[in-house]
Amino acid sequence: MTMTDNKIGGSTEELVVEAGEAQRNRRPSRMNRVGDHLRREWQLYLLLLPTILWLLIFLYKPMYGLQIAFKDYSVFRGVAGSPWVGLEHFYTLFENDQFIRALRNTIYISLLGLVFGFPMPIILALMFNEVVNQLFKKTAQTIVYLPHFISSVIIAGIVITAFSPSAGIVNTVMGWFGLNPIYFLTKAEWFRPIFVGTGIWQEAGFQSIVYLAAIAGISPTLYESAVVDGATRFQMMWKITLPMILPTIIIMLIIRIGNMLEVSFEMIILLYQPATYETADVVNTFIYRQGIQGGQYDLAAAAGLFNAFVAFVLVMTANTISKRYSRTSLW
Amino acid sequence: MTVLRKREETMRKFTLASVIMATTALTTPAFADDHLKIVDEPLELTIHLHWPRQQGYNENFPVEKAAREMTGIYLKDATAGRNSTDSMEAMNLLIAQGNMPDIVGGHRIRQPVNQYGPEGAFLPLNDLVAEHAPHIQAFWDAHPELQQAITAYDGNYYYIPYLPDGMFGRAWYVRQDWLDKLGLEQPQNVDELHDVLVAFRDGDPNGNGRKDEVPFFAREWEEVIRLVTLWDARSTGSDTFHDFYVTDDGKVVHPYAQDGYRDAMSHIAEWYAEGLIDAEIFTRGSSARDYLLSENLGGMTHDWFASTSGYNAALKDKVEGFDFKPFLPPASVSGVRMEEHRRTPLKPDGWAISYMNEHPVETIKYFDFWFTEEGRNLSNFGVEGETWDMIDGEPIFKPEVLNSDKPVNTQMYEVGAQIYRGYWMDYRYEWQWTDEDAREGIKLYEANDLLVDQFLGVSFNEEEQSVYDKYWPSLYTYMLERQQAWILGSGDIEADWDSYIQTLDKMGYSQVIEVMNSAYQRQYDE
Repeated sequence: MTMTDNKIGGSTEELVVEAGEAQRNRRPSRMNRVGDHLRREWQLYLLLLPTILWLLIFLYKPMYGLQIAFKDYSVFRGVAGSPWVGLEHFYTLFENDQFIRALRNTIYISLLGLVFGFPMPIILALMFNEVVNQLFKKTAQTIVYLPHFISSVIIAGIVITAFSPSAGIVNTVMGWFGLNPIYFLTKAEWFRPIFVGTGIWQEAGFQSIVYLAAIAGISPTLYESAVVDGATRFQMMWKITLPMILPTIIIMLIIRIGNMLEVSFEMIILLYQPATYETADVVNTFIYRQGIQGGQYDLAAAAGLFNAFVAFVLVMTANTISKRYSRTSLW
Repeated sequence: MTVLRKREETMRKFTLASVIMATTALTTPAFADDHLKIVDEPLELTIHLHWPRQQGYNENFPVEKAAREMTGIYLKDATAGRNSTDSMEAMNLLIAQGNMPDIVGGHRIRQPVNQYGPEGAFLPLNDLVAEHAPHIQAFWDAHPELQQAITAYDGNYYYIPYLPDGMFGRAWYVRQDWLDKLGLEQPQNVDELHDVLVAFRDGDPNGNGRKDEVPFFAREWEEVIRLVTLWDARSTGSDTFHDFYVTDDGKVVHPYAQDGYRDAMSHIAEWYAEGLIDAEIFTRGSSARDYLLSENLGGMTHDWFASTSGYNAALKDKVEGFDFKPFLPPASVSGVRMEEHRRTPLKPDGWAISYMNEHPVETIKYFDFWFTEEGRNLSNFGVEGETWDMIDGEPIFKPEVLNSDKPVNTQMYEVGAQIYRGYWMDYRYEWQWTDEDAREGIKLYEANDLLVDQFLGVSFNEEEQSVYDKYWPSLYTYMLERQQAWILGSGDIEADWDSYIQTLDKMGYSQVIEVMNSAYQRQYDE
């Protein structure tokens, strides 16, 4: 609307005024229309209500508390009663080398997770789609979904055991080839591969469900005509399946970028050591140590707010790029 | 109405209890007269009590019922944050919600109480105790340093702490049967200790033909840092790991910024490289002791008396000849035997009076009740006649309590004794169910002069707190990072030391030490 108005420019001022007047005159009838609409579709709005309430209570109301990032917060004085300190907490953060390091690690680990973790479920889904033997397919799917349902604490336990220098399977296998055991979980250079790998192992199977669903939605006629044209299975995958699920892939990518900085920090806390902070400490673990354990809620809120701000910029950028180049976007 | 009915109920129970007591011909029950009554009319006080075993206060605890009969005061549970096991979180929730119960207690209340007390959330107890609580006052008069320790920066104190009794907590333990097998003696100094660990590593004491023994291990990797005491350095000043300590000339410093620490750590790094310390010390975690002992792999550790001695009974059939014995701390390079860990005389747990309490005098009298002989026995051993009897002037647990399948402490928690109220622990409670091996070890330790003074913490004012909050978490992180790197060999402490100290200074170490010392002087130098 506004775009067109601008293009037409001042020459149609009269028209605009007239339109405005017309709108004012129509107002009662418009109200009626809204009323009618609500009466007709109230069931749908009722269904929507719980979600809206959930959003308001759990996502919008807490935003009120975000102001403590700019306050010298005391639990007893309360959010409203604590004095303002402006950007002091942000200065404190950016003067802290460990925060900068945590920010760098967050972005680095997230990028690694994106580059290696994002394509995995797609590849898995494509592979499952090509499997002919149903029994094998179902069994394999169950096995790859399974880690998703195991608690992070147990996953971390499995990882620690697997990489143990004395009893771990990894070092045992390395031993067969005459390699010396490595104490992986205390080596900063090994933390990222282990963490990202664990994430893929835990989630790739479950995430492939979305793509399997998208593949199931592809019209079989496309494949039938491709068979008639003599296409190979690989060609069909490359030329039909992938392009057809591309919108899903893009949407998932944007969502993923939005959540990118939400590194699963509970897993990091379970796996990291002071010796691996260098590569493992992320913003959320920094917040946990500094804020929650140290009781500095205001500083933690500032760090969290900054993290959210970066995530917001990331998702907006991804959305814009995607809109421009692939015509697929979240909004 | 209800009050009346409750009173009747109380009376009925009271008569019943007297009858039982009379028929079993015991000493007169302590609550047979009214000398402990605080109020004539029953008074109900609400309480927040968040502690590790139960997130709340059970109004049906036998101990609570007995205390009611003796004092006339009822406690009604009003604990916040029951769905969390984190007591700090529950406390913050309680304070944030604004409506506070009369009594606020539980685990780790010291920091919040000292922070929010001066802001007005809790009542200062100095005058209340001096006027109305003679037994608590007597305790402070006998232990003035403990009163200083809990005092907030404004000079008042705001909570009555849980005061543990007994001295030794952790001790050195060695596989005596391995020593015997290898023809060795218990190590008396650092060099002998090194030889023993080397022998454990190379001598195949578990006899399986493989070199899989783990000479020194620990459930908590911090215990490895405690080995620095063998080279006259320190790892902590309190029963918390990595804490500050007070030097001989009365200055608060951090152990990880001292020269002695550098030399000691380089030795520990050597021992680690030689395979004398568990290679997986940082990731094995809390099951290390269970696993390494039951698999017949672990040789030596530093851990709690009672639970570590317990393995002798537990593994008697599983590991042939298993004999895990406490031994004296080996003498350091300068010949000092030091047991750095001891039970703290003061816990950050206990209870406080909130600003919304309308009966502060009755409440402090009630707090004082737990420091009377009757109250102390009740809080330590449970209800007389039910879990214990007075025999020759000593409270002695009944045989069915001592011989139960359940540990005695669990049984006590269930009746409402030994819970996180402000009370003074009686070591006779624990001694009665400490097994013979541990008792011998404790006697051995007590016969020697091993203890070092404890740093009981300081209370910061707002300014000091903000300096500490700003610098300390990062400093702490950096210290632990370097510490692990040095042990694991990815850094060389001798080469790194100067830049390490410079970095600490850059990160605000001297500012932290400054506020530590200003708070310390205000609090302890009277």
